[in-house]
Amino acid sequence: MSIEWSLVFFTLFSGLAAGVFTGIAVSEWTGGGAKQVRFPGAVLTLAALVIGGGSSVLHLGHPERIFGALKQPGSSIFFEALLIGLFGLIVIFYLLALRRGASALVTRLLATLGAIPAVLLACTVGSTYMMPSRPAWDTLILPVLYLASAGVMGCFGIAALLSGRDESPAVPALSKITLMFLGIQAVLTAAYLVYLSVAPYPDVSRSAARVLIGDLAPIFWGGLVILGLLVPGFILLRVEKPGLLTKARYGLMCVLVAGIVFRAMMFSLGSAIHEFF
Amino acid sequence: MATKQLALVIDLDRCIGCCGCEVSCKQENEVAVDVVWNKVVEQGPYGTFPDVEHYFLPSVCQQCAVPQCVKVCPTGASYINRDGIVLINREKCLGCKYCIMACPYGVRSFNRETKVVEKCTLCVQLQAVDEKPACVKACAAKARFFGDLGDPDSDASRVLREAGEENVHSLPDVGNHPKSRYILHPKMAAWRS
Repeated sequence: MSIEWSLVFFTLFSGLAAGVFTGIAVSEWTGGGAKQVRFPGAVLTLAALVIGGGSSVLHLGHPERIFGALKQPGSSIFFEALLIGLFGLIVIFYLLALRRGASALVTRLLATLGAIPAVLLACTVGSTYMMPSRPAWDTLILPVLYLASAGVMGCFGIAALLSGRDESPAVPALSKITLMFLGIQAVLTAAYLVYLSVAPYPDVSRSAARVLIGDLAPIFWGGLVILGLLVPGFILLRVEKPGLLTKARYGLMCVLVAGIVFRAMMFSLGSAIHEFF
Repeated sequence: MATKQLALVIDLDRCIGCCGCEVSCKQENEVAVDVVWNKVVEQGPYGTFPDVEHYFLPSVCQQCAVPQCVKVCPTGASYINRDGIVLINREKCLGCKYCIMACPYGVRSFNRETKVVEKCTLCVQLQAVDEKPACVKACAAKARFFGDLGDPDSDASRVLREAGEENVHSLPDVGNHPKSRYILHPKMAAWRS
């Protein structure tokens, strides 16, 4: 099917928001050095949610009818909207709590509460596409991949916010977590390619061959493998730890571009069992 | 709860691929130029001369018994009426295109002008005055039949019975249970859809 760019940006920015805020919640519990980025991190989360939510609205032909969705609380779109609303509200309360110098218990509680819809949102935007009509999408790998992508974006987001500040003791742990998410993403990407090879109703439009050596190969190898996995991995493994923070913004840009590439590729592979029209 | 199982039965042995169904559909329902409700898809030719096979497959909403499009619709705009026909309430449609994604056959279209999703309605407006859908009336080869599959005396049930179970086919079922049926005898071509 054609690439739905508004949905690409919706899932990308909601993933970024989920990743960054979950990182903040973790830092609240670990008491790590990432404490100094809690406020800018929450602002980034809110901005990403607004951009993501705005993109999803742009996707609708008649956004003024969105309240009609309240009558169908079982639909995925209702659940996504509910999670975004809840997540955004908690982030606003968290920002207010930080601004007013609330106790550590309050901010910790709010961050933890916010992390729940954040993680659910990162998964849900992926699971929404799981449907038997689109064999390339009908796999649990997809929501887990969206979750891993949110994790990678969140880690680099936090690292980018830390750059330019005093060296933080959180950096070694952050590097390890980021590397772990990158590894998970690499394994899941490989698993997705295997799934494409064994998915029901095989068709060239949604084949692994199309990704590896076909028309999608340039964006897969260039955008996903090199830009999304190898360059961020190189930044984490090869750059000296103090230098990591200065390079983090490049890493963030790389994983954001890779996130766009993956989502665009997913839409390109999402042909129906029979694409008659 | 649907009281009928209205559906199309298309005899591919008879279809000549004239696309008269497409034209009549557009005329009757004033379907926009870039929107499709009904399309004749060429299947083949398969094989090597002189053993070649070829047939035309008119594709249209399959009026599924368990429509995934209805299941995913966030506003209830897609629904099943009492005759078992899957319809879209244009006043409720958000234009999210989620139903297009959920359809296994890609037989829903997004109208860029009205910004809502459209599809075959089995010409409910004609049924209201006891007429058959426009494509059925216009078919030059008399290859299209319409009726209640639950009524053994309907045109649709009759031709299915006459064709024999082994020559009746349907599109892949991924839990949506398509109701439309296609008749194709192996002497004409092997079913490949």
